[in-house]
Amino acid sequence: MTRSRFASPAAWLAMLVPLYLAGAQTAWAVPSFARQTGMACEACHTIFPELTHFGRTFKANGYTLSSLKQVRDVDAAKSELLALSQMPPLSIMAQVSYTDLKKTLPDLSADGVNGKALNGTVAFPQQISLFYAGEIAPHLGGFIQLTYGNDSGSFGIDNTDLRFADVAVLSGDQSLVYGVSLNNNPTVQDLWNSTPAFGFPYAASNSMVSPLAGTQIDGTLAQSVAGLTGYVFWNESLYAEFGFYRSAQQGAANALTGAAGPLDGTASNVISGSAPYWRVAYEYNTGRHSFEVGAYGMDVKLFPGGSPGGEQLLSGKVNRFNDVAQDLQYQYLGDVHMFSVNGTRIHESMTLDASAATNAVANKSNDLTTWRLTGTYYYRHKIGGSLGYFDTTGSADAGLYPSPGEGSLGVVTSANNRPDTKGWVAEVNYLPWLNTKFTLQYTGFSRFNGGGNNYDGAGRNAADNNSLYLLVWFSY
Amino acid sequence: MKTRTTVMGGSRRLSYRTAVTAISAGLLLALGSHKAAADGPDADTTARAHQLAVSVCASCHGPKGNSEAPKFPRLAGQSATYLAAQLRAFRGQTRGDPDAIGYMWGMAANLDDKLIDALGAYYTAQAAGHIPVKDAALVARGKDIYEKGVASTGVPACAACHQPDAHGTPDFPRLAGQHTQYLLKQLGSFQNNMRDVAVMHGVAAGLQQSEMEAVAAFLQSQP
Repeated sequence: MTRSRFASPAAWLAMLVPLYLAGAQTAWAVPSFARQTGMACEACHTIFPELTHFGRTFKANGYTLSSLKQVRDVDAAKSELLALSQMPPLSIMAQVSYTDLKKTLPDLSADGVNGKALNGTVAFPQQISLFYAGEIAPHLGGFIQLTYGNDSGSFGIDNTDLRFADVAVLSGDQSLVYGVSLNNNPTVQDLWNSTPAFGFPYAASNSMVSPLAGTQIDGTLAQSVAGLTGYVFWNESLYAEFGFYRSAQQGAANALTGAAGPLDGTASNVISGSAPYWRVAYEYNTGRHSFEVGAYGMDVKLFPGGSPGGEQLLSGKVNRFNDVAQDLQYQYLGDVHMFSVNGTRIHESMTLDASAATNAVANKSNDLTTWRLTGTYYYRHKIGGSLGYFDTTGSADAGLYPSPGEGSLGVVTSANNRPDTKGWVAEVNYLPWLNTKFTLQYTGFSRFNGGGNNYDGAGRNAADNNSLYLLVWFSY
Repeated sequence: MKTRTTVMGGSRRLSYRTAVTAISAGLLLALGSHKAAADGPDADTTARAHQLAVSVCASCHGPKGNSEAPKFPRLAGQSATYLAAQLRAFRGQTRGDPDAIGYMWGMAANLDDKLIDALGAYYTAQAAGHIPVKDAALVARGKDIYEKGVASTGVPACAACHQPDAHGTPDFPRLAGQHTQYLLKQLGSFQNNMRDVAVMHGVAAGLQQSEMEAVAAFLQSQP
């Protein structure tokens, strides 16, 4: 085991880097739902993308509620063959932003020269998304997002959730919604905003420094998996879901044929078989108050792969990540004042047999725990803000959270090989219209990649990564 | 299906022949509507309405029309005629208070007449609840206004139309057990004409906020 080996575990970084902040870049607000239902945004959202109770039931029912005229066809037995909305449920969304880091980054381009990157990043756009979001056929609906990002400079698949759903009327006029979701991001199908895919911050800069550590269920697998889950929602209060995810990587090719599959050892972090996903939640509504408590989790076994030399084949030992999370949500929906609290705790137990066998990690067993708690207030659907706290802690590992190597510029390293990152996000929002949001957001770090001062071993402090973010976000 | 009562006004004298024709036509219409009401919605439409009420309407209006959230009115025990008239007003976009626009215009857009009548029939058959109000003095004051009106400002007694028990009539809605906040919002919408109902605009115009709060508190607590 050598130090240089720790310093460049590309596969690990690819797996672990983006997470908490970058995972929140993708965002969702879909006026095509409003066009389809004929109902204003406020029926389903407090302020987009946070869902109201009605929004949750709309989603559970497969995005199919519609007031649009339909093109229909039936057969001789009056069986319905087609029910097609006369207006396709299409939407467009754009984000334009400006990000200023408290301390800019070292310039990697000029080797040996102590340069600085230009601070103050204008993203025009940061993101443009196209949506098909709405009913496809009776009981079948979809939320399909294609996103152009200025970081990739290209269009790609973003959050996608295809659903079949129906509802049974039980005795005593209780309802049982049941359905199936085919999606590409664990928790994107969830109904509450306390889980990662639709959790706070709803929009964040993609020009910030992201911490090294994040759990698998917390955005790491987004858009590189396909999951099929079944769910029931009893009486719009008790929710249970179970299903499996399998790798469905974008842009990966078979090294032998160049075809899109089957995946081979050149692909990184490929799920062994299928990873089970589970979710239970209970929601209680009284007066203007809505409470939810729940738990969710996933057990992922990954082949590290990523070794063209055949060092790590997609067979044999795996790295296992067992994520178990709890969440809660509270909403108060008044006509003038709205208030909500979302929180989650995600614990991940890692058993890294595959990486330990190649000395890519220091410990065979590691753990990681992320806390997140956010409070949001809005006045008359116009002006509001959020304050969010985040905290990730875990065991030290020089392979997962490497120290800076010889000549390293730091920033994405950890002097003490710890994952700990802690801080807060504060934002103020103004919505002149319900589909237009102006945001001023500040993210502050008290701890980053394990430390406060000189966290990276190259002289950078956690607070140097603090960032000011201005965002114009609209959808149509 | 019932026809709405209309009041003929004006001083123009009708000829005998015109009057006979009008009366005959009116009788035929009345008989026709009586027959429709007696028949009621067919079984298929009733089943569709039941499914819709449980799977869609209940999300806001609560199980069997007894909503928890005061933003959404309780529908249990409400007059079928009144409910149908409101759903038609939402569909025709002629009821214009804010939540009607934001929620119900879209929700009612595709409802056909048979389904509207069946939904009315479903909710009128449900057992209505009520929500106690602790402030007994407020309730007592509201009861007084409800039963007697406010003589000093010319506000008539609500009970005259909505009935002494506030259970309403086919054309005048049941108010007993309704959420205080919903009632207040409606009175406000009558006052500023967002909900354009001439009679209620006239009634609500003279009501002070404290009087409306008292009446609404009484009504919410009324079984």
